[in-house]
Amino acid sequence: MNKLSYFDSGAEKTLFAILACFVAIFPVMNMIFPEGSLLHVSSFQLNVWGKYLCYAILAVSLNFLWGYTGLLCLGQCLFFALGGYAFGMYLMLMIGELGAYKSVLPDFMVFLGYNELPTHWKPFYSPTFAIFAAMWVPGLVAFLFGLLAFRSRIKGVYFSILTQALTYAAALLFFRNDFTFGGNNGFTDFKFILGTNINDPAAARGLFWASGAFLIGVYLLIAWLLKSKFGLVQRAIRDSENRVRFSGYSTTHYKVFIFVLSAMIAGLAGALYVPQAGIINPSEMWPTKGLDIVVWVAVGGRGSKFGPIIGAVLINLLKSFTTRAYPESWLIILGFVFLFVVLFMPNGVMGLWEQIKAYLAKKKSKQVTASA
Amino acid sequence: MIFSSSKKCLSTFCILFAIFITIPSAWCDEVKARQVLVELVQTDDRSTHQASLDKLSKLGEPIIQEIVAAWRVGNISRSASTQIVYWKVADNTYQNLATGELAIPADDHKKSRASRKLRKQLSKIVDFLDLRSPDMSTRAEAARKLGATQKLEHLEILRNLSQEQTSHEVKLAFEEAIALCLIAHGSEDEKVTAIKLLGDRHVLAANGFIEKARKIAVGADATNIISAADIAMRQIKEHQQFIDVIGTIVRGLSTGSVLLLVSYGLAITFGQMGVINMAHGEFIAIGGYSVYLVQNFIITTYGESSAMYDWYFIIAIPIAFLISAIAGAILEKGLIQFLYSRPLESLLATWAVSMVMQQAFRLYFGAANVSVSSPDWLSGSANFGGVLISFNRLSLIIFAIFVVVVTKLLLSKTNWGLHVRATMQNRQMASSLGVPSSRVNMLTFAFGSGLAGLAGAFISQIGNVGPSMGQTYIVDSFMVVVVGGVGNLLGAAISSLGIGMIDQGLQPILGPVMGKITVLFMIIAFLQFKPGGIFPARSRSLDD
Repeated sequence: MNKLSYFDSGAEKTLFAILACFVAIFPVMNMIFPEGSLLHVSSFQLNVWGKYLCYAILAVSLNFLWGYTGLLCLGQCLFFALGGYAFGMYLMLMIGELGAYKSVLPDFMVFLGYNELPTHWKPFYSPTFAIFAAMWVPGLVAFLFGLLAFRSRIKGVYFSILTQALTYAAALLFFRNDFTFGGNNGFTDFKFILGTNINDPAAARGLFWASGAFLIGVYLLIAWLLKSKFGLVQRAIRDSENRVRFSGYSTTHYKVFIFVLSAMIAGLAGALYVPQAGIINPSEMWPTKGLDIVVWVAVGGRGSKFGPIIGAVLINLLKSFTTRAYPESWLIILGFVFLFVVLFMPNGVMGLWEQIKAYLAKKKSKQVTASA
Repeated sequence: MIFSSSKKCLSTFCILFAIFITIPSAWCDEVKARQVLVELVQTDDRSTHQASLDKLSKLGEPIIQEIVAAWRVGNISRSASTQIVYWKVADNTYQNLATGELAIPADDHKKSRASRKLRKQLSKIVDFLDLRSPDMSTRAEAARKLGATQKLEHLEILRNLSQEQTSHEVKLAFEEAIALCLIAHGSEDEKVTAIKLLGDRHVLAANGFIEKARKIAVGADATNIISAADIAMRQIKEHQQFIDVIGTIVRGLSTGSVLLLVSYGLAITFGQMGVINMAHGEFIAIGGYSVYLVQNFIITTYGESSAMYDWYFIIAIPIAFLISAIAGAILEKGLIQFLYSRPLESLLATWAVSMVMQQAFRLYFGAANVSVSSPDWLSGSANFGGVLISFNRLSLIIFAIFVVVVTKLLLSKTNWGLHVRATMQNRQMASSLGVPSSRVNMLTFAFGSGLAGLAGAFISQIGNVGPSMGQTYIVDSFMVVVVGGVGNLLGAAISSLGIGMIDQGLQPILGPVMGKITVLFMIIAFLQFKPGGIFPARSRSLDD
């Protein structure tokens, strides 16, 4: 089994190559071409595309859960936001005394009358710890919730609704000022990341590369898992969980593992997202955000490895285009696009080619029977 | 026959008689008051003032206060030639004080000023005016207010007037007020009886005064008073706790009723039909906006003071139901009927619909909340032994019960209900037995959406109507249905009341937001132990 067998088809191989080239070259265009040149990519553009890459990672993590295991989680935005908050805490502490109040404490703490840093904030001076937390906090939440939910065999729609309620409760909690995470306004006005000014093009390039590399890494990890026996069991759970259980597999363990892994991936995506977006607040974990991610995956094509990446980028491009061109009616346009996809493209953009092929074949066979 | 007609005659006569008795007497008092005041203004002879003042003090007309105030600022004038007293109601508008009719003053009218002594006497009458108010609740309120000042000079007038009171309620109020005064100024025995009276009647407002009296008694070493005060304070405290408990229960019922109304439609579309309708919240908004539109229509056609406006809400309720039911039928025919075999995709499609609808509301009605006013008969509140409940909330509770009963009857007693239950249990089997399942599906979905519209209509009376009002309730509604047990309407009713009670029980302890969060976590924990909800759907199928 050579390395290339990670890909199901030639088309996928091509797409992967395009992605890899894009990730490698895009920041270089920012670096070598001077401003004003046709080929120059501004730092702003780089940040925007870096954010899209983070969304793509998030969509991939949901697809791993929904497309391949059949668990529709409406709370993926919670894990994303938790990861974002964890890394945001590090970024807040890096502001140092440059905030509006010239205090070592983050501005909102001064504003709320804190005298010293709460204990759970202290380790976040270390970036390693912050990244570690961005992975393990969502992982831990997913582990506890998943263990309880899967043990009592909550599945299907019930699981979806419960994850939505969890997100809703968490968002309400984070909206509170006394929860020590900035309440309504969240974290913003970051200054430094790993010693570099966050507005420096070098920081934008580094973050873009990191996001791209992480996306490729996650893609390969999931491709590898799917090729393994683990992936077979995973898809078997999606298609008929009871049969898998009766064959002697503990589906609960598999599902908990998958849930935790996907939450950790989402958390890291959040950690990469926050420095590029420059803000994190509780609206990131509002239940509607969770549904947005589901839409990306559905539009791109769930159950295909590349679908979520395409879906996330496509929808966000469409969103940024329509919000500028039709600020009044962009939600209506997006809504109709989703409706169209759900009704007429059950396998999303990735399934479109197969759909057209099937349609043409059908037409051809009809012609053949008509001529005969 | 003859008997009944004569009875009718008699009752008509009684009504007419009652009208004749009451209207003129109310009207007479005002005229009398005006006449006495005219006398006062016109006579300069001070010796007759006292007689007029005595007459005036017997009357409790609110108009006295207005006229006295006008007199004080110089808006009362009199003409020597015509002997008419004028009241300047506004700039260049004068009233004949005696009759109340508008009048053009004679040329020689001059501002009238009351003497210092008269002014003082008049203001005393005005201060105690409310004690003689024809409105009994104003009278009781005034007595309580005077009692709370604990002034010795008020004791006398309270005592005097107390004997004249005929209404039981007002008499009680006077007695309480007297007791409050006595706590501060009475002899030891009087204090003890006063404290006992206040304790026995659980007068909540008296607690602080009794505590103060107890402190003084501790200083004076009056053991009688101390023990009486202890007993009274305990009685009042127990009553307060009792009221708190009742209040929590009533508020819980009312929150539960809101939850029940918003989730009952979902219990039908999601629970019975298995459609995950994320646009359910937008149907609630349709209901709210329907009320808004009906209100505006009635204001523009009939005017705001018309009798129609008082009843606009009653007219709006069936309209809200119909509009959202029609919208639901369109959604079912146009979209959902293609997705019955793919429940998760119905979630996505209806989410898209919800986005489109929200934006449509925003474009048509504006992004801000629209104002829906409560009709007069819904804006008061009822007092149940110290617990205040607004009529809005009360009508909500009654209406929730109505909805539950009607839905139950529809589903269990009608042919349509039989078809619905058959289709929901097994769509294919039902249609092969001749049930028109596609029509049943459409009607059921329309009914569920109509219920959401009804909920929206009622929410318009207690909350906001805006483009995203539905989003506030969607998570809650799904929770209610899942906790109740999907497919079980009784379960949805019980779970919404239970969640409402727990929510209101926790709120005083944890605050509104933390209370809600705790409830959500409790629900999540509850479902770990009972994944099927309170009434799990029984099935022999493994994958249900």
